[in-house]
Amino acid sequence: MAARSEAAYPVGWKNGRVASWLVTVDHKRIGILYIATSLVWFVAGGILALLMRTQLATPNEAFLTKNSYNEVMTMHGTTMIFLVVIPILAGFANFLVPLMIGARDMAFPRLNALSYWLFLLGGIILWLSWFAKGGAAHAGWWSYPTLSENFPFTSPGHGQDYWILSLHVLTLSSLLGAINFIVTIHNMRAPGMTWMRMPLFVWAIETYAILLLVALPALSAAITLLLLDRTVGTHFFIPSDGGSIVLYQHLFWFFGHPEVYIMVLPVFGMISEILPVFARKPIFGYKAVAFSTIGIAFFSMLVWAHHMFTTGLPVGLDSFFMISSMVIAVPTGIKIFNWIATTWRGNLIFDTPMLFALAFIALFTMGGLSGIFLAAFPVDWQVNDSYYIVAHFHYVLFGGSAFGFFGGLYYWWPKMFGRMLDERLGKWHFWLLFVGFNLTFLPQHMLGLLGMVRRIYTYHHGGIWEAYNLISSIGSGVMGVAILVFLINVWRTNVFRKGVRAGNDPWLADTLEWYTTSPPPPHNFDTVPYVTSARPLRDLRRRLAEQPQ
Amino acid sequence: MRRKLPSLVLAVLVALATAGVATAANGGFTPVEPASPNAHHIQHAYYLVLGFTAAIFVLVETLLVVFVVKYRSRGRARAVEGAQVLGHTRLELIWTAIPVVILAIIAGFVFYELPNIDSAPAAADPIHITVEGHQYYWQFDYPNHARSIGTLHVPAGAVVDLKVVSPDVIHSWWIPALGGKLQAIPGRINHTWFKADTGSYDGQCAELCGVFHASMRATVRAESQQAYQHYLTSWRGTIGKQIWNGVCATCHGNLGQGGYGIAIANNSLLTQKSGLEGILRNGFTGPGGAMPPVGETWTQEEIDALAAYVKKHIYKSAPVGATSGG
Repeated sequence: MAARSEAAYPVGWKNGRVASWLVTVDHKRIGILYIATSLVWFVAGGILALLMRTQLATPNEAFLTKNSYNEVMTMHGTTMIFLVVIPILAGFANFLVPLMIGARDMAFPRLNALSYWLFLLGGIILWLSWFAKGGAAHAGWWSYPTLSENFPFTSPGHGQDYWILSLHVLTLSSLLGAINFIVTIHNMRAPGMTWMRMPLFVWAIETYAILLLVALPALSAAITLLLLDRTVGTHFFIPSDGGSIVLYQHLFWFFGHPEVYIMVLPVFGMISEILPVFARKPIFGYKAVAFSTIGIAFFSMLVWAHHMFTTGLPVGLDSFFMISSMVIAVPTGIKIFNWIATTWRGNLIFDTPMLFALAFIALFTMGGLSGIFLAAFPVDWQVNDSYYIVAHFHYVLFGGSAFGFFGGLYYWWPKMFGRMLDERLGKWHFWLLFVGFNLTFLPQHMLGLLGMVRRIYTYHHGGIWEAYNLISSIGSGVMGVAILVFLINVWRTNVFRKGVRAGNDPWLADTLEWYTTSPPPPHNFDTVPYVTSARPLRDLRRRLAEQPQ
Repeated sequence: MRRKLPSLVLAVLVALATAGVATAANGGFTPVEPASPNAHHIQHAYYLVLGFTAAIFVLVETLLVVFVVKYRSRGRARAVEGAQVLGHTRLELIWTAIPVVILAIIAGFVFYELPNIDSAPAAADPIHITVEGHQYYWQFDYPNHARSIGTLHVPAGAVVDLKVVSPDVIHSWWIPALGGKLQAIPGRINHTWFKADTGSYDGQCAELCGVFHASMRATVRAESQQAYQHYLTSWRGTIGKQIWNGVCATCHGNLGQGGYGIAIANNSLLTQKSGLEGILRNGFTGPGGAMPPVGETWTQEEIDALAAYVKKHIYKSAPVGATSGG
């Protein structure tokens, strides 16, 4: 099937093994490129994390220098956020959205290719900054001025400029991608696929794309002003010349908080796809899950200053942002309860995707609940900028987003490559990651409450500080091993071709991407069935079972 | 075996809970022991949030585990479907409404505690002290123009109003036992307060401020009124040493033997007050390295005290053969 369609194209240099990937405008290949590139940076950013945990394993350690620690810390955060979580989700969205809605491709395939190549370019620019004069950026992933300004004792050299350029390019990539997703979802759904029959992952991508469009311009504005300050002598953020640092914080976090949901809503969508399939049930409360996504997205634009409770805002503002931040916990809770209800009276099958999805619920709950402490602003004054925060956002972004996208990888791998990832290695990967993750980040809550502030390259306390830090560092090593197991699994499946061949629908799933072959042909579908519910494939299976042959 | 398992699990849980309670005071399960009313009231809010979130955590994780165990496949085929339940409107309303109520209680309690956290007791006549964050030290200015570096002296039990400022980059003032953080932001004046019990309390800068962020520690010493008054009158005698230890030694080493900054122990500039003053006030950038203008806000008295201190105690006092580094 696939071979025949490819042969229909005229043979030329574009059909070469490498060249065909370089010139591709096929959403599936672009999706795979996105995911593969993100995974490379995931490994790179993970190595940076291991360097930091090695430095922090014992007090007064001298494994990294102060300067390089700040660079490593900044690059770890920036890489994981902008080069791993956002683009890997864009990769899933690229691969899945057209397939899930029964379309042939994205609305603008060439624009889609441009998005990917801009992402790669932005990433390369960021990582080239290690070689910049003065080293990589070292003012943290939010790069508050005046530390990020071009003064001798803040951020001289070009690392910060590379960081700005990289984020500009990545922003452009994400904006183009977001427009593409919105147009595709609005215009190219299969016949019969009304909004209420759309897969929940597609709902999540719709909101993800809208949030990107709303939030990213604020980031572009902030870093453009910063760039002007650094290069042409303006002083938007230099208080001694009349600028305002708090302005930067507002602009940055107006982007920065929706950003958190940009990184987690698509994963919510994946969980809402995976859980029902492995519970052999429909999602509990489809409408509640879909509308809570929109609710979260809306309120995520009204909570930004909870990142700024310690800047001395007026109590009235603090109060507003406390309440809005608490409001957002309600739709998030609705999702959690609906997911748990989805497992109720199911036929739960614990394949690797399901393990990751269940762990996602367990860990994200922890990250969500520790967030309540941060919303209550006087408590935030105590725990803000300590290791408690580091623990909190890793429970959200690793326990949440990363566990979710690993579940997604195991689930959709057969659709992407036609072969299943190995279940036994998958389970090793899962359990090592689960144990390692909790060892790493659970003790960091305690460290923060004990008074360990974030972003320090060393500490001098022994005793319980040292014990918790050492446990955390050991845990990070276990996570490193888990990722190695995953890479071996990928290698074994795709390079050695030992993975079991998957049919169209190995999991007996619900959504349209499983209607076509694995991997799908370039045009995705020969025909698309008329969609009569949110679970078109189950409908089809039932119709087939009812028809006497 | 089957019957033993639950009791074993129970025993382990009890042991863990006991260990948890035993270490709760200092194991990092709550913020550090408060020593000021604002920190006490933050602790109250913390306990309330902890109570609700712990209950929700236990509920959610227990439900998850129970369902996972109870509804596991047990060898049923994949094609066997679970109950085809699409949703339940009343349940949705319940798990929307209950969190709303809980969050309203938390928010209400925060507003109830807020006056005790945010504002100093109205009747008290506070001592006004300015906290100035610098790369990479804390400087404290007292009402009678006394000054200290790194260590803040206050009378125990007195209400202290802190004016928190910074001339260079954002720092964040945090002494965990004495309440929450407050950023020291260039161009802004922020206020916080505490009323410390007798004792010595450590903290450090909580906002990344550059290469020596980790070294930017502070100690608050809440002492008797006499000891406090004594410091206010005797500060001139120790300020040179305080500046050396709190500012210079961070980069140049305890004895000026060099470290991140160059070795200066044998540098004759240490004996030339005017040259020293120029570098302290204006900083220095050159091919061999750079030094921030650490002393841009210092008084003449302090410069003099530092110059006298380094001339006497640091110049030519480092071990012979100390190398000059970059």
